[in-house]
Order: sequence, then structure tokens, then C-alpha cells
Amino acid sequence: RKHAQKAAADKAAAKSAARLQNRKKRQVIFKRAEQYVNEYRQTERAEVRLRRQAKKAGNFYVPAQPKLAFVIRTKGINKIPPKPRKVLQLLRLLQINNGVFIRLTYATTQMLQIITPYAAWGTPNLKTVKELVYKRGYAKINKQRLPISDNSIIEENLGKYGIICVEDLVHEIYTVGPNFKAANNFLWPFKLSNPTGGWARRKVRHFIEGGDVGNREDKINALVRRMN
Amino acid sequence: MAARPVVSVFGLNGSKLDATVPLPSVFTAPIRPDLVQFVHKNMAKNHRQPYAVKQQAGEETSAESWGTGRAVARIPRVAGSGTHRAGQAAFGNMTRGGRMFAPNKVWRKWHIRTNTNQKRYAAASAVAATGVTALVSGRGHRINKIDEVPLVVTAEAESLKKTKEAVQLLKALNAYADVAKVSNTRSIRAGRGKMRNRRHRQRRGPLVVYAQDNGITHAFRNLPGVELVDVTRLNLLQLAPGGHLGRFVIWTQPAFEALNNVFGSQTEASEQKKGYTLPSAVISNPDVTRLISSNEIQAVVRPAGPAYTKRPFTQKKNPLRNTQILVRLNPYAQVLRRAEMLGKNKRTTKKMHKKSATGKFLEILKAD
Repeated sequence: RKHAQKAAADKAAAKSAARLQNRKKRQVIFKRAEQYVNEYRQTERAEVRLRRQAKKAGNFYVPAQPKLAFVIRTKGINKIPPKPRKVLQLLRLLQINNGVFIRLTYATTQMLQIITPYAAWGTPNLKTVKELVYKRGYAKINKQRLPISDNSIIEENLGKYGIICVEDLVHEIYTVGPNFKAANNFLWPFKLSNPTGGWARRKVRHFIEGGDVGNREDKINALVRRMN
Repeated sequence: MAARPVVSVFGLNGSKLDATVPLPSVFTAPIRPDLVQFVHKNMAKNHRQPYAVKQQAGEETSAESWGTGRAVARIPRVAGSGTHRAGQAAFGNMTRGGRMFAPNKVWRKWHIRTNTNQKRYAAASAVAATGVTALVSGRGHRINKIDEVPLVVTAEAESLKKTKEAVQLLKALNAYADVAKVSNTRSIRAGRGKMRNRRHRQRRGPLVVYAQDNGITHAFRNLPGVELVDVTRLNLLQLAPGGHLGRFVIWTQPAFEALNNVFGSQTEASEQKKGYTLPSAVISNPDVTRLISSNEIQAVVRPAGPAYTKRPFTQKKNPLRNTQILVRLNPYAQVLRRAEMLGKNKRTTKKMHKKSATGKFLEILKAD
């Protein structure tokens, strides 16, 4: 009985300590989210400002090359030749309608070229990234696919990179930060639904030809909106 | 065991005598129903008689298959003509009059060897079980009225010569109910055993164990269900019939005392069984509940968890639809949502101030 009482007292003390900790964390998360909102707004307005500036001066504004891409596998499992099959595996696109974020480099761009007939990709905007992570975000924890139900899940796994909440994760993905690889790999490939309103008439053709595959730059956002 | 419990001895008239016998160590042997069942099963197979079909059964024909093309199955058929048997199927286990599948052979292994130590352990267990009233009455013996278990009778019982005297003794001990049970349950066996010299079946009665036969065998042997055995030759098949522990045993005093020589103790070797000591229990204090609630164990046990544990996260809720979940993940979202709602309200109020279409516009509109 004495032991049970002592255990109960310990538990209560631990609980109140944990609650205090949590409150502190919440404050930090709040501040960070606020900071990110401002940051996003700033970068957006900066883009606009630079365009306007260039137009005013009669110059051309060349925006930075996109750093982030979102790739969706549009082809099923069968009849994929070996090289594109391997590339799809490397990109973790193992199932139809699977989506992953990819950091765009020369190498990855070449990989996307190889899988052009089997995937649709483009540059996602902030809303796309946010919605994907919030609605379809599952974490790869101990090889298990677990829903991101709480910030503690993110903190325990990505805390060492300074990512402690969903907003941190979204920020890391969207701005392709220094720990993009860790953050992206933490996310299980997104399992999207088929798009409401359907695919193009002949899905297998390139987007340019009226189909769905290949690079469709910012039109990927509309597609994800329909698939999410 | 420091102090040996003591068993009282009963006289021929059923009354308790002054003499007492300390309980032999066998009765503290661990009672292992699983082992007893195992050993009993093996031992019971040892008095089997071989059975088999005739060696040439079903093969005493020169049958051959007719092959295909004769609108009959291809099973071998008896050659010849002029009799019903001609053309009938033969040899297969599925045919009438054919050889059976895997005909029984007499060289089947009928007897089973068991390790001597296992046999002794089982015997010790079975003897120990005869000292537990619950087991004995659970086995079905009628021992409600008897005074003490184990039941020990004076040595004078070994000199009884008349069955009448034996019945008197049993009645005095209130043990006759068990014998009566046997005669009441004598019935005709169901099945073919009836015509194979196993016509009747009856229950088992008490087992009388003696050290020296001075007539006791003759006195008790005609009583239905009663079995007699020398203490040096205790048989597991009698101590635990059917593999079930708890035979009702009536010991004579010399036999009871001799048990120490027969089985020895946990520390002393037996005199009869060379170099054999009784097995000790795996757990010396069988009261597990008491052990668990003891101070020594409770001091190191971690605190118990809650009686009902809530299942953790069972349903993923969509943060884009469920504001609570959204705020749980992103506390700043509350601020954003609030701002959104305020902004919306402002816009609706602004709309109300907007004027409706002016007169000039309506004129032009209605001109056509």
C-alpha cells in the first residue's frame, strides 16, 4: 500500500511537471508559426515587388529556379521497363497515386525525365504543401506508417534537427531547408485519391499534349487540390 | 519438514487407538497429475495382447485387372468362371473381400518403456495423492464418513481370515460405502466386449495395502472392487486408476511404517529402491497468492498500471476540417482563424452599406 501511495504521488508530480513543459513548448510553437506566417508573406510580396521593379525599369525579372517539386505516380504497377521502375522505387513512388516531395537538382531533374510517362509533377505552392501534410501526412516511425496526430511525434523524431511541430515540418519542406532530406524522408509517401472530376481524356499522354503525365509546373496545385 | 504430522491408527472395531504413526515422507512428494497421466498411459499399454488380421487375408486370389476397354473399373478382378466370385473385385482395401489398408501386424510395438525415475516419481505422486481427501473424493470414492485420510488400521487386520470379519472392519471404519458403491455399479458392458469375456463393468473400491499377508488377502479378496497389494510392490495402475489421482487406500500400520523404507525421503535414500530419493517440489511454497502479496516481493514490484487503459490514438481526424485538431497541431491557427472570421464580418457589413443600383442605370437598362 505504501508503495502504491508513493507511486501515485510520483506520478502526480511527473504529470504537473510534464504539463508545465508542454505549455512552454506550445508557446515556442506558437511563436514559430507566427514567424513563418510573416516569412511566407514577406517572400511572396518580395517576389511581386521584384517583378514590378523590373517591369518599371524595363528589365526582365528572372525568378529563381524552383527548389521543390511534387511528383505523383500516375501509372500502375505493370509493364514498367526496368530503368523507370528503379527510378520510381528510388523516389518511393511504389503505388499508383502516390505522391512525394522532391528537392530539384540537376540529378533529380534527370530522374524525373526518365519517369516522365509514368508520373505527373510540378512545383507545389504553400497551400498544397500545407494541405498535404495536414490531411495526408503520415510519419515513418520505426518502419511503421503512423498518423501525425500530435506535435510530440514530430518532436521525438525530428527534434534533433530543430523541427518540433507540423508548421516546422511544412516550413522545412516548402523552403527546402538544410534538413529537407530528414524531414521529407520522415514523411511516408502521400497516398492520394483519384482526382474528382477525373483525369484528362487520355491520361497517358504528356500534359502538353492534353494528357496528364510529365511536368506541368504550377498546374500541379490544381491537380493536388482535386486529389487530396 | 520439521515436525512430521501424525496419523492415528484405527483398531479392528473402528475406534481410534492410542498408537500414532508419523506421516511418511512420500506424502510430501509433489503431486504431478501430468506425469502420472503420462506414466500411466505407458504402463497401461504393457498388458496388451497383440491383435492382427490373418497374414494372407484378402490376398488369397489370383486376381488380375481386366485393363481398359471392357466398360468396367480397372480394379483387379478374380479370374475364372462358374461362381459368383468370378469377376468380382479383389485386392483393394476398398473392395469387398479385399485386403484392408495397412494390415495389422503382430510385431507392432505393444509395450512402452518408461524411465525408472519417472515411474518412481509417478508412484510417489500417486501415494501422496491418496493422502489428500479432496483428490480421493474427487476421484469418486465414498469417503464422507471415514475419520481420517490416510486411513491406517492396526497390524491385526493382516491376520484376518474371514470375509465376514473383513466386512465388519470396513463397516466399523465407515469404509463399506465405497465397497457398496462397487456392487451397485456392476452392470453389463456396452459393446462387443460383452461376448469377449468382458461382460461386466464395475467401479473400483478401496485398495488395501499390507506389509505381511497373514490371511488378509483371503479375507478381502472376494469383496467386489477391493484390491490388495503388498507395500513393497505398489502399482501405479492401482494407485491412480485411469491416470486419475486419489485412490482410496486402507493401510495397515506395518505397511504405513514401511513406506519410509520403500520410498525414502527427500534427503535419505530409499532402502528398497537403490539410491533413490524422493523428488522435491519445484516451488516449495505453493501459495502463490501469498507470495505475491508478501512484503519482500511488493517492495520491489513496480506500481500497478490503471485497471482500464484507454486505447491511444484510434482515429485520425482531418485538421483541415476539425478546428480542434488543427489548433492542437498549430496553436497559431486559432489566431489566423479568428482574424479570418473578423475579416469576413467586416466585409459583410461593408456590403450592407453599398447602395443599390442608381436611377440612371435603371433607365438605360429598361430602355430596350
